[in-house]
Amino acid sequence: MDFVIQQFINGLTIGGIYALIALGYTMVYGVLKLINFAHGDLCILGAYIGLTTLSAGIFSGLPNLIVLGLAFVFAIVGIGVAGVVLDRLAYKPLRHAHRLSPVVSALGASMLIENGIMLVWGAKLRTFPPNVLPNVQWLVGGASLSLVQAVIILGTLALMIALYLFVHHTRIGTAIRASAIDQDAARLMGINVDRVIAFVFIIGPCLGAIGGLFVGLYYRQAYFNLGWSYGLFAFIAAIIGGIGNIPGAMLGGVLLGLFDAFAAGYISSSWENAITFALLIAILMVRPSGILGERVAEKV
Amino acid sequence: MAADPQQANASPAVVHTRSLAARRRSQLSRFARITGIAGVVLWFVGLLVPVVLTPAWVTIGGVFAVYAIVALSQDVVLGRAGMYDMGHAVFFGVGAYVTAILTMSFGWPALATIPVAIIVATLLGAILSAPIVKLRGDYLLVVTIGFNEIFILAMKNNLLGLTGGPDGIFGVPGPELFGHMFASQGDLFYLNWVVLAIVLWLIHNLERSSLGRTFRYLKYDELAATTMGINARLYKIGAFAMAAGIAGLAGALFAMQLSAVSPGSFTFTISVVFFAIVLVGGQVSVPGVLLGTVLMFVVPQIFSNLAQYRFLVFGIVMIVVMIIRPQGIWPAPRGGA
Amino acid sequence: MSDRAAMAAGAPAPLLELQHVGIRFGGLRAVDDLGFAVADGQIVGLIGPNGAGKTTVFNLITGVYRPGEGRILWHGRDIAGQAPYRIARAGIRRTFQTIRLFAHMTVLENVIAGMHPQMRQRWWQGLLRTRFQRREERDVAQHAMEVLERLALTEVADHIVTSLPYGAQRRVEIARTLIARPELVIFDEPAAGLNEQESADLTRTIRTIRDDGITVLLVEHDMSVVMNVSDRVVVINFGKKIAEGTPAEVRDDPVVVEAYLGREDEEAAA
Repeated sequence: MDFVIQQFINGLTIGGIYALIALGYTMVYGVLKLINFAHGDLCILGAYIGLTTLSAGIFSGLPNLIVLGLAFVFAIVGIGVAGVVLDRLAYKPLRHAHRLSPVVSALGASMLIENGIMLVWGAKLRTFPPNVLPNVQWLVGGASLSLVQAVIILGTLALMIALYLFVHHTRIGTAIRASAIDQDAARLMGINVDRVIAFVFIIGPCLGAIGGLFVGLYYRQAYFNLGWSYGLFAFIAAIIGGIGNIPGAMLGGVLLGLFDAFAAGYISSSWENAITFALLIAILMVRPSGILGERVAEKV
Repeated sequence: MAADPQQANASPAVVHTRSLAARRRSQLSRFARITGIAGVVLWFVGLLVPVVLTPAWVTIGGVFAVYAIVALSQDVVLGRAGMYDMGHAVFFGVGAYVTAILTMSFGWPALATIPVAIIVATLLGAILSAPIVKLRGDYLLVVTIGFNEIFILAMKNNLLGLTGGPDGIFGVPGPELFGHMFASQGDLFYLNWVVLAIVLWLIHNLERSSLGRTFRYLKYDELAATTMGINARLYKIGAFAMAAGIAGLAGALFAMQLSAVSPGSFTFTISVVFFAIVLVGGQVSVPGVLLGTVLMFVVPQIFSNLAQYRFLVFGIVMIVVMIIRPQGIWPAPRGGA
Repeated sequence: MSDRAAMAAGAPAPLLELQHVGIRFGGLRAVDDLGFAVADGQIVGLIGPNGAGKTTVFNLITGVYRPGEGRILWHGRDIAGQAPYRIARAGIRRTFQTIRLFAHMTVLENVIAGMHPQMRQRWWQGLLRTRFQRREERDVAQHAMEVLERLALTEVADHIVTSLPYGAQRRVEIARTLIARPELVIFDEPAAGLNEQESADLTRTIRTIRDDGITVLLVEHDMSVVMNVSDRVVVINFGKKIAEGTPAEVRDDPVVVEAYLGREDEEAAA
């Protein structure tokens, strides 16, 4: 039983991170029908910005909590700007091109960011400073819950609620949902779809930057090509929830995190990724539109 | 109704239009013929590589031929049949591992492993694609990425104790033909160069056959194609299997060329490179795909002292080419996308 | 009515017969207990107000949708729910309301697509370019040119199909169905988007198709086309058949007038 609770806590933590990153995929896909392959790398770039802030000498006089706050601010602002720049340079010129042209551009952007990180921060594993958050542990039903885990779980929950309220109770949020359902109709209804796209490329990367920094704080390390695996798993989470569907990405992220935790606990961890992909393939066979996605019949 | 007035209207024009159509066709085919002749000349010039260039370039030429074959096969499934296969390195890898395992663990002569590599890759292509060809584009893309990840894990985890784990298998011999051992890089270059010519000939024929057209019908409008009596599922699996088989052939050559195989040569990143070669070069365009292979494979060899920037430059090239030429550098004359 | 159609009207077994066919999309009954027959050699018009389920009926016949209930008899054999490619091979071909041609391919290649089930070359013969394969390619192209000539498309045979004007694209779609010499062709609003001259040409083309022994089933909004060309007319509304008969009978049917023509009059008056 302790083991089950422990895996549940671990799964919820990692699932929260997946969900934060998955939102960026699902929102871009919803509006542009584009898999933004560079998103995972952007998120990990956020972790590196946080890492540099946390280990920078100039902030060493400040209290830990303030430095941590600054790390989040720099990561969020930096990645938000990077997201907009990415869209402007790599995707916007290809809005009306063949479907695969922006996909290749996105793959190129992913390689560019990943290798850019490697050239700036090096190809070696980078560790986070040890005492960013106090090393507090609680015992929950025989399992341990660390402060980092609590911060990640509660932080993710708060961001989810905020995002949910945002997309359901603001004009721009409604415009995002409308553009995801039918971009042409949204345009005809007077929605400025270009503004929606710009917004999506700010919100998604900002949330992703938080997710990336959570990865760094949780594992206390970062590696230049982490973006690839986190990006891919978050994207799988988005598909599981129903690609294009915002609550679906949240649900998919949490479910995938839990699945991973239990799969790693019960089955050989060297096959963990293979099992996740097997799950994805199974879901796409049975219900291609994901858990919350709508089935769309082709109009003949 | 006695006569079709449309037909009556059309007939005076027909004589004129026939010649017009013929002229157009001859213009198209003249262009195709010029590129074709240029291609044949280039191939013969290529035969001189081992004579006039340094050994390093002979190796690059040999590996180029192998990569070009894989890229052409990627174009069969992606460009010609329109399926977003982003795990094509799997079939390339399967061919290479089949040759490596049969020669090293079972003592087969290298040449005899080539048909087996082709058959195993073809069957795997058919088996893996059968349940997924009905998935729509992006889902297919993600699932094939998954295949690639699972394949790499299987090789790293030393599947059945045959794949050698993360380090792979070393010491694959070259083939022996009529008592001559293909051991030197020059020999292997000629072998690969000839196989490349055979594959180019097959692709050229595919373009002019019912099979090639059927792939494209399915790419452009699957529903319309099925209402013409085309069994979409069968042909899509066929396209996957054919592309996989050609990639498997390239894999066998690759194992002999490098005399070693390891998981690192068949990762998802390699699949992305093949995917990008087709789109950067130009879908359904043989010169485009070959040019893409040169750009993404040969050019980086020239700047090998800047190897750490390789993928950074790839990334920039992919973005820049797509923005400047979304159809690729050398698109098919009639537009392949 | 032509002699052929009159003869066919007395024939015992219809070519195509729908019996109690129905399909449901979610809560909506798109087609409900629908039955009608198409006799060999006839031109049958299927009409009804917008959203009456006409295209759905076509999708059911051609296997694009699987009917929830009922039977679709082709030569007396139930084909309901079979794969579209099997139904096409059985001799039923169709066009689409929104033109569905193979973009980036020539008119000739588009039309040859219709010949797919008749092609004899095997996949390896294509790859090896055998003598038989080359001969077949030549013969097929020649046959396609004959069909193109009939629809006044010879001039554009080597053009990319999407570069043609709308009316010509419609004719390519028709050519693509005819090249297979089907027993039944189904035209889904073939006159949509055509000008008056093109509509008149289309009417003549449809008659010549019938005179060649091909049965025609068509959905059409343009009443002048339907009433001019059809031997029989089936009227549906809300997925149900509300009337059937000769164009003259249907025109005078009060139920039809109320459901359909009446509304058209209002539109015309407005």
